[in-house]
Amino acid sequence: MSVQEKYQTLLDLANQNGTTYELSEGNEGTLVVTGTAPSAEAKQQLWDEYERLDPDFKGGDLILNIQTAEAAAGGGMHTHTVESGDNLSKIAKEYGIQWKAIWDHNRDILNHPDKIYPGQELKIPM
Amino acid sequence: MKIKFLTIISIAAVMFMAACGKSDADLQKAVQDKLTADNVTGVTVAVKDGVATLTGEVADITVKNKAAASARGVEGIKSVTDSTTTKPLPVATPQAADPALTGKIMENLKKEGCTTVTVSVVNGKMTATGEVPDASFAKCVRVINEAGGTGFDNQLTRRK
Repeated sequence: MSVQEKYQTLLDLANQNGTTYELSEGNEGTLVVTGTAPSAEAKQQLWDEYERLDPDFKGGDLILNIQTAEAAAGGGMHTHTVESGDNLSKIAKEYGIQWKAIWDHNRDILNHPDKIYPGQELKIPM
Repeated sequence: MKIKFLTIISIAAVMFMAACGKSDADLQKAVQDKLTADNVTGVTVAVKDGVATLTGEVADITVKNKAAASARGVEGIKSVTDSTTTKPLPVATPQAADPALTGKIMENLKKEGCTTVTVSVVNGKMTATGEVPDASFAKCVRVINEAGGTGFDNQLTRRK
């Protein structure tokens, strides 16, 4: 049975509840489902079905990367919570991007690139 | 009793005649129209003696299943031979390099309170170890799924 066959009810459900998705093949034949669900409920339905098919999520043959439409509208931003000892260069290195990119995306909450404080939530362009 | 029997016979006869009434060419068109109406693309239909054979390459398994179901639903089609194939999938690329991906996952896990999970990433394949409270098991698994890796070896255990 192909991986697509194994998870066909999950994909059917996605089509029914308005989730748009794309399939690709990851490591060792892993089925990678990347998509956007119209609501948190729709996304939860997909996860419930995944759990029904593989109760411990241990098959190692599926990646279900579904975000909700609201999250998608955020523009693929990731949030990093500043910790004690962080600076923009260090955070940027962690994500493999330039510090200036973080600075540019957070001018609204930062006054100076050297002044960030623990607990601040920085938008990280990925 | 006799009336009931006659009714069944006549219904059967009508259905039989209706089935025979359509030529293979009519059926082929009917199936093709039905597929178009159901937004199934990429499927070619051939009908011989009421048996529909579907060929072509479709986007994924859901389209394949839908095509076969649609064809079966067409009146006069006796059976469907599904010879469609699903399109080979493009190769998934990790959303970030391994160290960046690891950093992102660990950060997201921490934010969701999955502090007992350790993740390592090699060529986009994420391996997660650690013991997680039963109640947050699914949540932690989800965080890792949504990180943008291309493989997932889930070795997490549940703490009951």
